[in-house]
Amino acid sequence: MQSTAEKGFIKRLGQLLEPLLVPFLAIFTAVILGGIIIKVVGGDPIAAYKGLVQGAFGSPQALSETAVWSTPYIFAGLAVALGFKGGLFNIGAEGQLAFGAVAAALIGYALPGWLHTSIPPYIHIPLAVGAGVLAGAIWGGIPGALKAYTGGHEVINTIMMNYIALNITSYLLNGPMRDPNPLNLSARTPEIAVSARIPPIFDIPGMRIHWGFVLALLMAVVVWWLLWKTTLGFEIRTVGANPDAAKYAGINVKWIITLSMALSGALAGLAGAIEVTALNYRHELGFSTGYGFDAIAIALLGKNNPFGIILAAILFGAMRNGSTRMQFLTQIPVDIISVIQALILLFVAADAIIRFIYRIRAHEERVVLTRGWGG
Amino acid sequence: MKKLYSLMALVLLASMLLSACGATTPAPAATQAPAPATSAPAATSAPATQPAATQASSGTAPDCTQANVFCVGDVTDVGHVDDKSFNQSTWEGLQKAKADGNADWIQYIETADSKDYAKNIDTFAQAGYKVIVTTGFNLTDPTYAAAKKYPNILFIGVDQFLSKDANHPDWPLPNLVGLVYNEDQSGFLVGALASMMSKSHTIGGVFGTDAVPPVWRYGEGYRAGAAYEDAKNGTKTTVINVYHNDVGFDKTFTDPTWGATTAQSMIDKGADVIFGGGGLTGNGAVDKAAADKVLAIGVDSDQYYTLPEADAYLLTSALKPLTAPVAELIGMAKAGKFPTGGLYFGAAGYAPYHDTASLVPANVDAEMQALLKGLTDGSIKTNVPPVKPAQ
Repeated sequence: MQSTAEKGFIKRLGQLLEPLLVPFLAIFTAVILGGIIIKVVGGDPIAAYKGLVQGAFGSPQALSETAVWSTPYIFAGLAVALGFKGGLFNIGAEGQLAFGAVAAALIGYALPGWLHTSIPPYIHIPLAVGAGVLAGAIWGGIPGALKAYTGGHEVINTIMMNYIALNITSYLLNGPMRDPNPLNLSARTPEIAVSARIPPIFDIPGMRIHWGFVLALLMAVVVWWLLWKTTLGFEIRTVGANPDAAKYAGINVKWIITLSMALSGALAGLAGAIEVTALNYRHELGFSTGYGFDAIAIALLGKNNPFGIILAAILFGAMRNGSTRMQFLTQIPVDIISVIQALILLFVAADAIIRFIYRIRAHEERVVLTRGWGG
Repeated sequence: MKKLYSLMALVLLASMLLSACGATTPAPAATQAPAPATSAPAATSAPATQPAATQASSGTAPDCTQANVFCVGDVTDVGHVDDKSFNQSTWEGLQKAKADGNADWIQYIETADSKDYAKNIDTFAQAGYKVIVTTGFNLTDPTYAAAKKYPNILFIGVDQFLSKDANHPDWPLPNLVGLVYNEDQSGFLVGALASMMSKSHTIGGVFGTDAVPPVWRYGEGYRAGAAYEDAKNGTKTTVINVYHNDVGFDKTFTDPTWGATTAQSMIDKGADVIFGGGGLTGNGAVDKAAADKVLAIGVDSDQYYTLPEADAYLLTSALKPLTAPVAELIGMAKAGKFPTGGLYFGAAGYAPYHDTASLVPANVDAEMQALLKGLTDGSIKTNVPPVKPAQ
C-alpha cells in the first residue's frame, strides 16, 4: 500500500516527533485530570479552560503578559537544564535568582550616586544586568566547586545556599538596601535609575512585554550553540554523561563541573536581573514566587532542550497569566493551575505512567538527569 | 498503526468526557462536537459561539459595561479571600453591599503574584466595573496609578494611607479613597479595659515593629487607655509594651515564638493581661497568655474565631473592622456620594467578651460603652500622634 519512501518519511517524522510525544501527552493528561478536578469541586472545566486560554492569548495585552511571565521561566529553565546536561542538579536557581536581582538592583539605583554622575543607558543597563549575572555565577559556582573539589553533593549544597541567599537578601532589603522613603512599609530597594531600565518593546500603556523576552529567546539559542556546537559544550555533556570516561579522555572534570554550575547560576542570576531591570524596577522581598523551583519542572518538561524549554516556559507562563481571567470568569481558585503543573511534572518525571496509559514503547535513550549520590 | 488508532480513540474519548463535563451547564456545550483528536482540548473544545462563560458561583455575570449595572470588583492581596484576615473581611464587605442592594454584581480576583496587581485591576476596569476595591497597603501604588488611568471608576483602597508626596503628586484624587483607621482608639479601648481588669496593675503588650504606623498607634493607644483609667480610678498601672523591632519587616509579624517568650517574660514580671498586636507574633503572645491562664487581648478582627485555643481567656480584641466601612463606602459610591479628601476613617471598636463575659463587672462594661461613645463623638481624645515622632 505504502511505498518504501513514504514509510521512510513517516518513520523519520515519527523519530522527529518522538521526543515531543511524552511531554505532550503529559500535558494533555494533566489538563484532562485538572478538568475532572474542576468538575468535582463544582466548576465548569470548559468555561475555566476557555477563560485560561482567553487570559493567556486572547488579546495583545494578554499575549504581552504571557511573554512577561515566560521570561524568567525561560532563563531559569535554561539554567537548570544546563546543570542537568553537566550531570548536576541545580536546585539553587531560586537563591541565584534572588542574588542576581539584588545585585542588579544595587547597581541600578546606587551606581550613579557612587560615581556622582548620570550614566548613559547603553552602559548602565549592561552593568546592572552583568552584576546580576556575576552574582548568580558566583552563587552557583560555589556549590559547583564544592562538588568538584570536595565531593560535597550539589543538591544539598544548593538547597542550603538557597537559605543563605534568601536570608541575606532579607537582611539587605530590610537593612542597608531598604528604600528610605518614610512611607515605604515593605522590604524593598529604592527604584533603579531610569538609565538602568530595559525599555518595553512597544511604547503602549499596558503592554509590558520588554526586550528581556527577546533576550531570553536569544539566550536559548546561545545555550543550544554552547552545548552542542562548541568544545566546552561537548565537555560539559561528556562530564554529565560519564565523568570517568571524560577524565580518561583528558577533560578537566573538576573545572568543568565548577564551570557548569557557574554558568547555570549565571543564567538564573540573569533571570533575576531582567525581572528587576525590565519589569519591577526594584527588588522586593517575595517578588519571586518560586521561579527557581518551577524552573526544574520546566527543564524536565522541555527535556533539557533549549527550544523545548522555550515552549515549556511559555506554557507555564500562559497558565500563570491566564489564571487571573479564569478566576474572574468562573471563580475557580488559581491554585488549580499549580495542581495541573504538578500533574504535568509528575507525568514527565514518571513517564512510565504515560507510556503505560498510551502504550508507548520506550526505545528512546534515557535522559540522564543527574548521577547518584557521591557520583 | 494500531497503536495510533487506540491513541486517537483515547484522545477522542477524553475530549468527549471533557465536553460531557460541561454539559450540566445550561449553555449548549453538550451539543458541540468533540475536539479534533490532534489538538489540545483546552484550545478548541470551548465553543467560541457560546454565550459568556457561565459562573461557577452564583448566576451569570451581567454586562457590567451598561450604565445601570453596578458592578463591584475586589482585588485581593497575594493570598485568598478566605484567609480569616483582611482579604476575607474586605470580601465580606462587598457581600454586605450586595445584600444591602448597593451592588448588582460582585466579583473577586485573588492575586497570585505582586506583579499582577495592575493586571488584575485592569481586568475589572476593562469589564466595566463601577467600583474596584483593593485590599492591603501593598496595593497602594498600583491603586493610585489605576485611579489616574481610569478617572471614571471609583477606587477604594483598604488600609491604604496616602498623602501628597513625590510618588503621589496628584493626591487626593476625586475617585480614590483610602480606608484607614484610628488604631489608637481601638488600642485605647482595650488598654482601658486591661487596666480596669488587672489585679496586679501590670499589663503587657506584644507588638510587631513600631515602624509600621498602625502598630505604633495600637501600642500607644493601649498605653493611653490605661493611663486614662488610672487617672479616673486613682490606680497606677504599669504598661510593659514591647515592639519586635530587632528583626526585618518580613519577620516582625511572623514570629509567634518570640511573641510567646516575650509574653512569658511579662507574665513573670506580674502582668495579668497581655495584648498581642502584630500578626502571628501577637497570636503567639495571646496563645501563650491563655495557656498560662492569663487574660489575653487579640487584634484587628475578633480573634475569638481565629484563635480558638485561647477562647477561655480571650478578654476582647482591638477591632479594625473592614466589612462595615467597605460596605458603607460602596453604598456611598452607589448613591453618588463618594467621600472626597482621599481618606476615610473606619470606626474603632472592641470585640465582645464571649467566654470571659462573666469576669467583666457591669460597671466596667458600662465604662467601656461610654468610652466607645466618647471616642466616636470626639469628646474623648487618645492624644496619640498618627506616626511615631522622630527621636
